Amino acid sequence: MRDEQRQALEQFLAARAGAHAVRIHDVRLLSGGAIQENWSLSTSVTGGPHEGELECVLRSDAPSGVAVSHSRAQEFALLQVAFRAGVTVPEPLWLGDTSVFGRDFFVMRKAKGTASGHRLVKELDLGGDRELLVERLGEELARLHAIRPPVEGLAFLRPPTLSPALQCVKDSREFLDGHRAAFPALEWGLRWLERHAPVTPALVLTHRDFRTGNYMVDETGLTAVLDWEFAAWSDPLEDLGWFCARCWRFGQFDKEAGGMGSREALFRGYERVSGRRPEREAVFYWEVLAHVRWAVIALQQGERHLSGQEPSLELALTAHVVPELELELLRMTGGHHA
Amino acid sequence: MRECPDGAALLAIAREVLRKELLPLLPGDKAYAALMVANAMGIAERQLRNGEGPQREEQQALATLLGREGSLADLNREFAARIRRGDIDIDSDAEARRLLWESTVQRVRESAPKALAAYSPSAARHVFV
Repeated sequence: MRDEQRQALEQFLAARAGAHAVRIHDVRLLSGGAIQENWSLSTSVTGGPHEGELECVLRSDAPSGVAVSHSRAQEFALLQVAFRAGVTVPEPLWLGDTSVFGRDFFVMRKAKGTASGHRLVKELDLGGDRELLVERLGEELARLHAIRPPVEGLAFLRPPTLSPALQCVKDSREFLDGHRAAFPALEWGLRWLERHAPVTPALVLTHRDFRTGNYMVDETGLTAVLDWEFAAWSDPLEDLGWFCARCWRFGQFDKEAGGMGSREALFRGYERVSGRRPEREAVFYWEVLAHVRWAVIALQQGERHLSGQEPSLELALTAHVVPELELELLRMTGGHHA
Repeated sequence: MRECPDGAALLAIAREVLRKELLPLLPGDKAYAALMVANAMGIAERQLRNGEGPQREEQQALATLLGREGSLADLNREFAARIRRGDIDIDSDAEARRLLWESTVQRVRESAPKALAAYSPSAARHVFV
């Protein structure tokens, strides 16, 4: 971060925090996030309601992003709505603009802990009791899903014109039609999704990337649900299916809830807050959809490298997760050839 | 005639050096990048070892199934289109199901061979890791 950016940020933070002065004494670029940049800011606030040390994170656009992700202003609005609904998210503090930092950004309170999926599934001292953690995650989802349209500040979220399931089928097919190669196994998955598509009785606010790797824990438990850029009005079971999908278990396949705990615990937490018991068979549909959707996103990420716009080994390798997603998709939908 | 060891063999030994000699010396925040490099080298090595044989077999099998000739990319697009239209039904068409499964297994064998272990012993055979 350049000196003039830091000074502009200090002035911005002081004005928004109602402080006499804010001094940033440590800045670090955090890893993770192919779409956004996250900067950790350690600040000292003099005067005003935030007087004292304030640890926060500045989230800004990266040089390029996936077309379907929200702007920082929209993500800030989503965080505010989730925060007010009692979902454990980093407290959204202030929304900034390009005049301050050169790119759009917002500032949120820093959550403690780690989010790395690979670490979480291996280091069992992280996250406290795992069954309790997974149960808590179920409760978090239920709180989020209590939010129904319309909501002030979320007008930018357009309800799907079709049912969420069929909308995903349509969008995925449109993407594949314009892609450089065809994917017959994905097509079979899409056909299965089309033929088995459920009706969504009522749209709710969904996270749509709610999985291990996108929430933070410390030694005692959950500290924050992160990465709201895919949030949309959808079927509540989409989030449960995404969380349980085999492709998001980080190799811990017997722990069906995100590689962390039992499905039973997740559903128990969900039912306690929502009053609705998720049915395993209904969630299964969304696990199939999760594999299709993740494969499409992986192709899009690979394309960012392939197109030459953003040479990146990580993006290049992401395209290579597609075959294993397709194999699992075939297994789930009767395409397994013994 | 090319020099030996060939490209695949060089990638294999280079990957060994990366994993065994260099990786342990790297700071924690660079280990992930080194693992990605090793992964990419592994994919390239397996593709080189397999050569074009599996692709040719897939092309021939597709041509037979679809009853037409064409490049693998064209035939694959036709296969995908027929599945989408419902003209080919994987539930009832055992030959199409076999082809789809085998060609997917072949791609996993190159891109993520460890993932095969969970499926079938036959699928995991002949995996170069």
